[in-house]
Amino acid sequence: MVGTQHFWDREAFNGAVDKVKELGGEVLPVDGGRDNQVHADNHDIFLTNKVDAVISILGDAAVEPKFKALQEKGIPVFTVDHLSPYAINNTTSDNYYIGTTIGRYLADSLGGKGKVAFFNAFEGSLRICGIRAQLAKYVLKDYPGIEIVQPELAEAFANAPEDARKKTLDLLTQYPKGTLDAIHVACWDQPAIGVVQALEETGRTEIKVTAVDAGPDTLEIIAEKDSPFVANIAQQPRKIGSTSAENVAKYFAGQKLLPQTFVDVIPVKGAEEAKKVYAELGYGKLN
Amino acid sequence: MSAILAIGRPQLKSAFASVVPLAIFLALLGYFGLRAPGFLEPATLILILKQAIPTAVLGLGLSIVVIAGGDDVVAGGIDLSVPSIAVLSAAIIADQLANHGSAAVTAVALGFAAAIAAGAANALLVTRVGMTPLLATLATSTAYIGLSKVVTANRRIDLSDPLIVTLRDGSILGLPLGLAIATGLAVTAHFAVHRSRWGLRLQAVGGNRDAAEIAGLKVRRFLAQSFLIAGAFGGAASLFVLARGSGSTPGVAETLLMETVLATFLGAAFSPRRVVTVWGAVLGAILVSALSIGFGSVGVDVFWTGCIKGGLILIVVAASALARRSGT
Repeated sequence: MVGTQHFWDREAFNGAVDKVKELGGEVLPVDGGRDNQVHADNHDIFLTNKVDAVISILGDAAVEPKFKALQEKGIPVFTVDHLSPYAINNTTSDNYYIGTTIGRYLADSLGGKGKVAFFNAFEGSLRICGIRAQLAKYVLKDYPGIEIVQPELAEAFANAPEDARKKTLDLLTQYPKGTLDAIHVACWDQPAIGVVQALEETGRTEIKVTAVDAGPDTLEIIAEKDSPFVANIAQQPRKIGSTSAENVAKYFAGQKLLPQTFVDVIPVKGAEEAKKVYAELGYGKLN
Repeated sequence: MSAILAIGRPQLKSAFASVVPLAIFLALLGYFGLRAPGFLEPATLILILKQAIPTAVLGLGLSIVVIAGGDDVVAGGIDLSVPSIAVLSAAIIADQLANHGSAAVTAVALGFAAAIAAGAANALLVTRVGMTPLLATLATSTAYIGLSKVVTANRRIDLSDPLIVTLRDGSILGLPLGLAIATGLAVTAHFAVHRSRWGLRLQAVGGNRDAAEIAGLKVRRFLAQSFLIAGAFGGAASLFVLARGSGSTPGVAETLLMETVLATFLGAAFSPRRVVTVWGAVLGAILVSALSIGFGSVGVDVFWTGCIKGGLILIVVAASALARRSGT
C-alpha cells in the first residue's frame, strides 16, 4: 500500500487485509508512508518473503520493474488503481464515469461559464488521474465560457491538505475577488480540505470547490450550510480493496479474470446529497 | 578499590559505547533472519545492496565533507544539501530527456553542471561568506528543492530512456550494473581520501584545522574542494535516483537526507577511531537498506520504521560521543 495517511488509503488497505484474512489467508502488510519510492521498494520485501500473491494499491511507474521481478519469480500481482502489463487484474472505480460526471457537476456549479483552477499534479504520471482529469476537461470543451487557469496547480502527494491550503492562499492573492470562480481537484479530495480552509480564512467562499473521492471527512464539509465545496464523486475504497482480495481467491480457484474490475461510484451534488450518501455508505448520520 | 573503579570506568564506558551500535545491528539482522526465512538469502543481499546505492553514493559525498570539516556537527563539516543536489540534478536530467528531447549525454551534462554549481555555491557560502556549514547547506538545500520543483512543475516525470533503463536493469559480469558502478565510485573515493597524499591532507584539515594551517595547508581550499566533490557525488547519485524510480518524483529528498545522514554517522560508529570514513558510509547505507527490508519483512509499520531509524541515529551518535568523551 502506498500509504495509510487518509481515509481512502486506509479503507482500501483494510478492505483487502480483512478479506484476505476472512478467506483464510495470511497477510504481510507494507506501507509506503505516501512515498511512491518507498512503496516501490517495499515490493522487494514480497520477493524475499516468497509470498503467494501480491495486492499492490496505487503507486507510480517506479513499481513496474518490481512487478516484472515478481512476475519472473512466478508471484502473481493484483493491482488497485494501477494499470500494469505485469498485473493479472486491476480493481478500480469507474474512473470514466468519475471524470465525465465531475466535469458536468463542475460546469453546472459555474452556471456554464467562469474561471476554474485545477489541482492536477498526477494527470501525466498516474493513469487513473489521467482518465479523471482528461474526461473532466473533455466535458468542459462543450462549455466555451469556462476557462481553466494556466498553469495548473500541482499538489503534494503526502500531507496534501496543508500543501493545498498554502497553494490556494497564493492563488487567491494572484486572483483577487471576482476573477476566479472555482477550484477543482482533479483526482482526489484531500487537497480540497486545504482549499476550503483557505477560502474560509480569506472569506472567499463564493469560489466553488469540486473534487473526487468523497470519504466521510469531505462529505461532512459538503454537508455544511453554505459550503463552498459543492460536488464530489464518492468511491467505495473498502469494497475496492476487498474485491481485489476476492479476485486473488478467484484466480487461485482457477477462474478467469477480466483485466479490470470496476467498482461503482456515487455522485454527490450539494449538502443534502452529501448527507444521504454519508448514511448510505455507512459513515453515520449527518444533521 | 574505588581508585581502580575510577580508572576502569571510562575505559569500560568507551568499550561499551563502541560495541553497542554494532551489537544492536547484528541483533536486529539476526532477528530478521529468524523471523523472515528469506532474509538471509543471497538474492535478498543483492536487493539490499541495490536499494542502498543512492544512499551510499550520497554518503560518499557527505563523508568527504565531514572528513574535511571535522565531525563536530554544529561547527564542523556537514552538507545537508547533497540529497537535494541529487534531486535537482535528477529533475534537470528528467526534464531534458522527457520534455526537451535532449540527448542523454546533454541531459546528464546539464544535470551534472547544476550539481557542481550547487556544490560550488555551498563552498562559497562556507569558505568565503563564513557561514556555518549546517546553516548554509540547510538553506541551500531548501533552495535546491525549490529549484527542482520549478524545473518539474512539482510533477513526476516518467523516464524510459535507454540510459536509465540500462542503469536500472543492466548487469556486468553477473553483477547489477548500478552496483558495479557504485562500487567503483566507492573504491575511488576510498583511495582518494584514505590512501592518497591529498586525502591525508584532507583528513589533517578535518582532524585539527589550526595544526593544518600551521603546517602550511590551505584549509579553505580543502574545505571548498570537499563541497565541490559532494556536489559531484550528488550529481552521480541523481542517475541512480532516476534509475531506481524510473523517473523523477517530487518529495524523495526528505527520505534520502535522513538515510544519508544515518548511513554516514552510523559508519563512524563502526570505525576503530569512531570517525566518519568513506567505507563506513557505504557500510552504513547497506545497513540502513537492510533495516528497511528487514523491518518490512517482519511486518513493522512504516511510521514505526521511521521512528526506529531516528532512534538509531540518536543511539549511534550518542554512543560515538560517549566513546570519544571517555577516550579524552
